[in-house]
Amino acid sequence: MKKLSMLLLIAVLLACSVFANGAGEQVSNAVADKIVKGQSLSEAELIALAKEESGDFIAYGNSSRIASAVTNFVKKYGAQIGLSESNASGSKMGDSQIFTTLLQESTGSTSKAASMVLIQDGAQLQLYRKNTTIMSNYVPASIKGKVAEGDLVPLVHQYINKLFIWNNLGDNVPAVKNVWELTEPAMKGRIFFKNPASEMVNMNFLIMCTSPEWAARLADAYRSYYGKEIALGAYKNAGFKWIAEFIANCNFSISSDTTICQTMAKADSAGNIGLFVLSKTRDLDASIKGNLSVGAFQASSVEPFAGFMYPLYAQIATSGPRPYTAMLFINYLMTEEGFKPWGGPSTTTMGAYSSSSDIGASEGDQPITFWRNCLVAENADYIMANKSSVVDFINAAIAKK
Amino acid sequence: MATSLKKKMFRVRDFFSNPANIILTVTVLVLGFFTLYPLILLLIDTITVNISDLLYPELMGKRVGSFTSFHWKRMLFSDVSSTYFWVPLKNALLMSTLASVIAIIYGGTVAFLITRTDIKAKKFVSSVFIFPYIMPSWTIATFWKNFFQNPDIGNYQSGMLYYLTKIKVPESFVYGLVPCAIVLGLHYAPFAYILIGGILRNMDANLEEAATILKATRARIIKKITLPIVLPALLSTFLLVFSSSMSAYAVPQFLGGTSGFTVLTTTLRQFINSGWYGQGYIMAIFMIVFGLAILGINQYVTSSRRSFTTVTGKSGQISYIKLGVWSNILAVIIVLLCLFFSFMPLVSFALESCTVVPGDFSKLTLKFWIDPGYPLNNGIHGLFYEPQVWASFKNSLVLSISCAFFAGTFGILIGYAVAKRRGSRLAKTADNLAFLPYLMPSMALGAAFLAIGMKTGLSKTMTLLILVGSIKYLPFASRSGINAMLQLSGEIEEAAVIVNVSWWKRMLRIIFPIQKSTFISGYLLPFTSCMRELSLFTLLSSGSIYLMTTLLEYWQVWCDQSANALNLLIVVTVLAVNLLINKLTGASIDKGVGG
Repeated sequence: MKKLSMLLLIAVLLACSVFANGAGEQVSNAVADKIVKGQSLSEAELIALAKEESGDFIAYGNSSRIASAVTNFVKKYGAQIGLSESNASGSKMGDSQIFTTLLQESTGSTSKAASMVLIQDGAQLQLYRKNTTIMSNYVPASIKGKVAEGDLVPLVHQYINKLFIWNNLGDNVPAVKNVWELTEPAMKGRIFFKNPASEMVNMNFLIMCTSPEWAARLADAYRSYYGKEIALGAYKNAGFKWIAEFIANCNFSISSDTTICQTMAKADSAGNIGLFVLSKTRDLDASIKGNLSVGAFQASSVEPFAGFMYPLYAQIATSGPRPYTAMLFINYLMTEEGFKPWGGPSTTTMGAYSSSSDIGASEGDQPITFWRNCLVAENADYIMANKSSVVDFINAAIAKK
Repeated sequence: MATSLKKKMFRVRDFFSNPANIILTVTVLVLGFFTLYPLILLLIDTITVNISDLLYPELMGKRVGSFTSFHWKRMLFSDVSSTYFWVPLKNALLMSTLASVIAIIYGGTVAFLITRTDIKAKKFVSSVFIFPYIMPSWTIATFWKNFFQNPDIGNYQSGMLYYLTKIKVPESFVYGLVPCAIVLGLHYAPFAYILIGGILRNMDANLEEAATILKATRARIIKKITLPIVLPALLSTFLLVFSSSMSAYAVPQFLGGTSGFTVLTTTLRQFINSGWYGQGYIMAIFMIVFGLAILGINQYVTSSRRSFTTVTGKSGQISYIKLGVWSNILAVIIVLLCLFFSFMPLVSFALESCTVVPGDFSKLTLKFWIDPGYPLNNGIHGLFYEPQVWASFKNSLVLSISCAFFAGTFGILIGYAVAKRRGSRLAKTADNLAFLPYLMPSMALGAAFLAIGMKTGLSKTMTLLILVGSIKYLPFASRSGINAMLQLSGEIEEAAVIVNVSWWKRMLRIIFPIQKSTFISGYLLPFTSCMRELSLFTLLSSGSIYLMTTLLEYWQVWCDQSANALNLLIVVTVLAVNLLINKLTGASIDKGVGG
């Protein structure tokens, strides 16, 4: 009897978990219709429609600056659309936390669900866009002609770069001009890079190095550095060879880009180099800021790439209660004022670049066109097609260290 | 037929006339749902296709939600299984076993010295020994690394030891398996101290004195009398420390070193970050299985014993072993160890929070504490002026106090009921269910409760956080309650039963006062754990409720100094609560063991 009761309990729980389903499908269709309509609306029309909405406005983002962006948005539009600090918030969340949360929100109540997301993993985003309706793309009418075609679907809000930056003190400055220098035995343990196993954008960068385009450029760089053709051996292409040898020399003892930046700038780090987010240099004390040199800013840059860049995508979350407010927010983020938490022409914060040509780079930085020429950029389709195999290769290389 | 129905009704009524049976039945039903349901969700994820799994060529084109054995085959039998599973499993088992041994030896030895000997400085040691548990484990890892780091290893910076003495320790002492085990052992040594010390404190000295009279040696007395009596506490400690260490993520991630030491949790996190839940949760299943195996061994050993009673209706006394000159020597050694592992990290946080350049102590400033403006460009005010700090402080206190209340109270009740019905199937089931949530990795449990929250409308509410926190930390309270009740002889309650004293009065007037010290620790342990828990609450509170730990995680990315200040605030808060309870009730975690 007791065993039967236990089996019955498990069966009921299994049934609940397997067959339970919310009304997410109908909700997201209604939101999709609003988005189609919203793409031709002006700001004033969006404000009028957002004013009629109720519920909390919640935005999730991989970038912590989303909180500041929401605060600024509320200051500007709050009175007009019924938003204040108490019913609007922006939260930073981890790589797949956003997807997990959005999936769960699509099955339940919508009053506290997110209405907008700012997300960085393009490959996962593509997968979820193809297989679910939890997110929808919105292109504001105001940015037509200002954002490149390739950045419209899904809409790219900004690019962030990670660059080769080294300590310029002492006699052994690693002023690299070619990425193959980083595979030399002398560089072992001197390259500080956040472990790609714990940082998805770092993993995506390494995956992109195996793409035909970058593998070819790495082969050319090899020839340029060593004066001979690359011998691949068991490697599929130059990208795989470079990744394996680069990882062998990497130092994973520091687990945050902020700490890598702070450590690289100290005098004790003479002879070391890091691959980390450029924007972290803004927080350095003036006394040590000059100890760092950015490879991309040197006269000869770094062949064939000085680092990599990855996009942050803006999407409407279809389970949220305020889709028009979300559209207005995205509209706002694509302006210079809305981009301010990350950078822009009136700031000194380097390292983030709006996809809109109306918003230039910050003081002392280079425009996005400069970075497109010298950095490895993510290609979501390539990553999707090759992620499973290349990730195994990279993890095996890390395990061999 | 009517007669047999009447007999059944009578048996049911008789069954539920015993408070212990009511408690056990409610426990099994409620915990059955809240522990089995998340476990079932985990299992389902390991045999179904998730969206991110469609990246694998083997699963391309499959329907999301369809069944597959791909995850299990890949994790256990493929050519990548060594990288993702077997090596991390081996590392996790070694790390957890070593950490458990260190915790029991260090914590148990100190507990024995404090409760059974005339060693000096008992009050001080009792007060500060628990500090390493109050601090998040990664902060001890940070301190360990900052102290032993030298220019030849790791990030090539000078740590405190090298700076003061020019001594260079090998890399394997600072990064990898050994330091991870040591740090976890130090972090969880207070478990051993509290649980083992609680037993030793109440042990009647007559037991040992009888053996002394019969000319038994000290070693024989410890082996034949003391150790068997503290065996339940030893096994409980091993169980708690082993499970906790298996689930530890921050320490191996932080002390992984230049090559990245991997354990099950670091690999689990990697798979979850990629959206490959099926493969990730297989690690979670194995962590739970190992925990259950130890739980089974624990139950086998304790159920084979007739009694672990040490507190009876007869009078008892405590006599201390005289250490002579060793009393001072051992006191000095233990005080130095306590100062090093308890105070030095706090001093380190305080100093780090005052540096202009992190790690550079030549220039200090208080602006990260008291500057009302925006220090540097990180957008964070000085700690005392930062609105987020006080909002999250209030949330964390409300959450921790609520979890402590519910977990502690149910833990006592479960402890009472399990002890009273010891050996019965119902008691064993309740005991196991009460412990199961602790074996589940926090991030997996958080994800499961997120699903429960969405389906019940509790999503992003404090209620859901309190629910999951109470269930997660119920094992502390229930272990504490069970150990305390196993010590009590039945005759203590029998006198009150004979004169028809109600059950509530017996609990409040007799049982609770006798074992007050151990019961109070059952409240304080969930409180302490909740105050510094991150993985469990991060998914459930995102976008709604800021806790001090989620704020700390956010600040660590932007500003080391502010993060260290916040970390210090968390630790000081827990210490202050401990002191307050000590003043109000005379009991506290450290008071549980003869300080």
